[in-house]
Amino acid sequence: MFVEYTKSICPVCKVVVDAQVNIRDNKVYLRKRCKEHGRFEALVYGDAQAYLASARFNKPGTIPLTFQTEVRDGCPSDCGLCPEHKQHACLGIIEVNTNCNLDCPICFADSGHQPDGYSITLEQCERMLDVFVESEGEPEVVMFSGGEPTIHKHILDFIDAALARPIKVVNLNTNGIRLATDKRFVAALGECNGRSGKPVNIYLQFDGFDERTHREIRGRDLRQLKRRALDNCAEAGLTVTLVAAIEKGVNEHEVGDIVRFGIDHPAVRSVAFQPVTHSGRHVEFDPLTRLTNSDVIELIAGQCPDWFRKDDFFPVPCCFPTCRSITYLLVDRKADRTDVVPIPRLIDLDEYLDYVTNRVMPDQAVRAALEKLWSASAFMGADTTTRSLEITAAELECAACGIDLPQAVKELDERAFMIVVQDFQDPYTLNVKQLMKCCVEEITPDGRIIPFCAYNSVGYREQVREQMSGVKVADVVPNAIELQPLVTESPYGSKIAGNGNGRRPATAPDTTNVGQPAVER
Amino acid sequence: MTTPEEIKSCCATAYGQDAVALVLGESYHPGGLALTRRLADVVGLRSGQRVADIASGPGATACTLASEYDVRVDGVDLGRAAVERARAAAEKAGLAGKIRFHLGDAERLPLPDNTFDALVCECAFCTFPDKGSAAAEFARVLRSGGRVGITDVTVAETGLPPELTTLAAWVACIADARSVRTYTEILAGAGLRTVRTEAHDDALARMIDQIEARLGVLRMTATDRLTEAGVDTDAVLRYTALAKQAVADGLLGYALLIAEKP
Repeated sequence: MFVEYTKSICPVCKVVVDAQVNIRDNKVYLRKRCKEHGRFEALVYGDAQAYLASARFNKPGTIPLTFQTEVRDGCPSDCGLCPEHKQHACLGIIEVNTNCNLDCPICFADSGHQPDGYSITLEQCERMLDVFVESEGEPEVVMFSGGEPTIHKHILDFIDAALARPIKVVNLNTNGIRLATDKRFVAALGECNGRSGKPVNIYLQFDGFDERTHREIRGRDLRQLKRRALDNCAEAGLTVTLVAAIEKGVNEHEVGDIVRFGIDHPAVRSVAFQPVTHSGRHVEFDPLTRLTNSDVIELIAGQCPDWFRKDDFFPVPCCFPTCRSITYLLVDRKADRTDVVPIPRLIDLDEYLDYVTNRVMPDQAVRAALEKLWSASAFMGADTTTRSLEITAAELECAACGIDLPQAVKELDERAFMIVVQDFQDPYTLNVKQLMKCCVEEITPDGRIIPFCAYNSVGYREQVREQMSGVKVADVVPNAIELQPLVTESPYGSKIAGNGNGRRPATAPDTTNVGQPAVER
Repeated sequence: MTTPEEIKSCCATAYGQDAVALVLGESYHPGGLALTRRLADVVGLRSGQRVADIASGPGATACTLASEYDVRVDGVDLGRAAVERARAAAEKAGLAGKIRFHLGDAERLPLPDNTFDALVCECAFCTFPDKGSAAAEFARVLRSGGRVGITDVTVAETGLPPELTTLAAWVACIADARSVRTYTEILAGAGLRTVRTEAHDDALARMIDQIEARLGVLRMTATDRLTEAGVDTDAVLRYTALAKQAVADGLLGYALLIAEKP
C-alpha cells in the first residue's frame, strides 16, 4: 500500500531523489531510485498500524527565534536551520572533538584515535552556545558530545560556559572511561550539577552485559569500567541516562536486562534505546531487516512482560511522532521485589496529545505538562521535567476520585523513571518529511544549527570535519550488504564509495524525477 | 442465596463506592472515551437528536455526547451518588441545559415511549439481571428507526472459568456477561434487530491493565486508604490476573453492538 511521497537521498552519491513510503505485511518501507546508483529500499517502521496511528500526535511546531541560513536549494541542502524548518530545537548538540579513547566498530561520528580531526576552542564553544541561545531564547538542553568529550582539556570550561547562559539542562555524552578512572573529574562534574538549579546529566553509553556485546559494538570489554563509572556518578550525586545502541543479532536480547539494571541502580533515572544508526562506522547490515522503534518497543515488552505492553510507549509529538517514543514509570523498590507502573496506564494520553481528531480541548495545563514530558528535551532531574511530572501527578490524583495523594505527588519525581526509544535516520531511511520537523540539532562551529539526522546522513558531518581539520573527507556510504561491491574503507574505518567520490558505474541506473522539466518539450 | 435484586443494587452501590472509585477511577468502561466516540459514530448521532444513556454513571459519556455531537441526553442510573455527581459534572461543563439525569432502573426506565433517536448503554447491560426486560424498555423508549448502541463484556459460548463467576466478579461486569449471539437474541426478543457487531477485546485487556496500574500506585502511595476503603489488593489482583488470562484465551471479550427498532 502506497502512503507517502517524499524526498530522500541516494545513499551512495547523496544526490537528492524522490522517494515513496509503502506498507507491506504491516511494515513500513521507504523506497527511492537514483539516476546513477539504482533502486534502494529500507525498513523504516516495523508496525504499520502504529506508524499510521501516530499521525494524530503530530503537534504543530514552534518556530525558532532566528534562522541561520536561507532557502536556496530546498531540503535537505539548506541546513540550517532554514526558514522552511517546522520546529525549534528541543536539544542542541555540540561535538567538541573528533578524537576518542576508543575505536568502536559502531560509531555514527566515525571517531577514534585518528591522526587528523579537530577539537573546538573555548571561543568556538561560546559562539556555538550563543547561536543556540539566539535561536531559542532559553534553550532547554545542550548536549556535549564528540568524539569523546571528557578527553577534551576544556570540557569543564565548556560546561561552565553553558551553565553561565540561559540554558536549562547540560548533558554530557560519554563512554564513561574517564568517569570510571578519574574521581576528581567526576567530583568536578558533581560540583557543576545543580549549580544555579541546573542539572548536569550524564548520558552514558551502555549497550548491555554480554562480553560479546561489548566486543562487537565497542571493540573492548568495558563492563567493569561501566560499573565503576556508574558507581562514581552515584557517589557524586550525578544523574545518569543509560544509552544503548541496539543492533540486530548483537544485543537485542539485552534490552530487558538494561531496563531492570537501570531501575535498580541509584544513579540511573532513565534509559535511551537507539537502534544503531547506519551512518558513520557500523557493522554490515541489511536495510530491509534493520531494527526500528516499534521493534525495540516489542523487544522491551517481550523481555519485561510483567511490566510493559507495547502501547505503554507513546509517540513524541514535538518531532515527527515516528522518530521517538517515550514512557514513564513509577517505580516501587522493595527489599524482595520491584514494582513498576507505566504512567500512560494512569492517564489517557490520547485525550491530551491528539492534535487531529476534532474534540473538546483538553485541560491546557495538563496538555502542556505532558508535552514537556513527551519531548526530546525531557531529562530526569531537569526542573521542567520535574514540574511537568508534578502537574501530571496532580491530574492522576484527580482521576483517582478525590483521593488525596499529596505524598505521592511529592515523591513522584523520585519514583519516576523514563524510557526513550529513538530511531535516528541514516542515508537509507532519510525522509525529509521527518527531517523538516526534527528537534534534535547539531550546532556547528561556523554557527549553523543542523538537524542531527541530516548532519549524519547527507554530508554535513563530512563537510564540517573537512572545514575544521583541513583534511579532505569523502562522503560516508552505509555498510549495507548490497553496497559491498561499491564501497571501500575510509581512513576512519567507515565505508566510502570505491574511488572516493561516489561516482562509480551504476548497478541499475534510473532516470525518473531527477531534476528535469516536468514535461520535456 | 443472593437474589437478582440484591445483586443489581449491590452492583450499582458498588459503582458509587469509594472502593470502586479507587480501583477503577474515571474510566468506568473499557475503551474509555475513544470507544464512546466510536459508539456514537456507528450509532449515527446527529446534531439535535435525543439520546438516552442507560447506566450513565458519573456522566462522562453524557457530557461527551452533548458537547461533541450536539445532542440532548437523558441519563439514567441506579446509584443516587452517581446521579448527583453526573449532574454536577454537567453543570460544571455548562451542559446542564442539554443533559438531564434521572435516578432509575434500566428495567423500568423513567423515560417516555417512542421518544429517543438513539440509546447507548456502556458496560452495563451485562450486569442487568433481567436483560429481556431491559431490552424491552430500550425498545419502548426508542422511536421507530431509532438505534441502540451497546458496548459490553462478552463471554465465549463455552462460558467462563468458575473462579470468575462469583459475586465479587459480578461487580467487575463479568459474571453475568453473555456471548454476542445471546445478546443479539435478547435484543431480538424485544424486537431490536442487530445491524452491526464489532470486537474490541483489546479495550478490555487495557482496562484490566489500568486497574492493576491504579492499584499499583495506590499500594505505593496510599496503602492506608486502600485498607480504609476495604480493598483487598491481593484479592483484586488475583481476579485481574484471571480475567487477563481469560481475555488472552478468548473466553472473555468486549463487543460493540448496534441494533435498530423497526
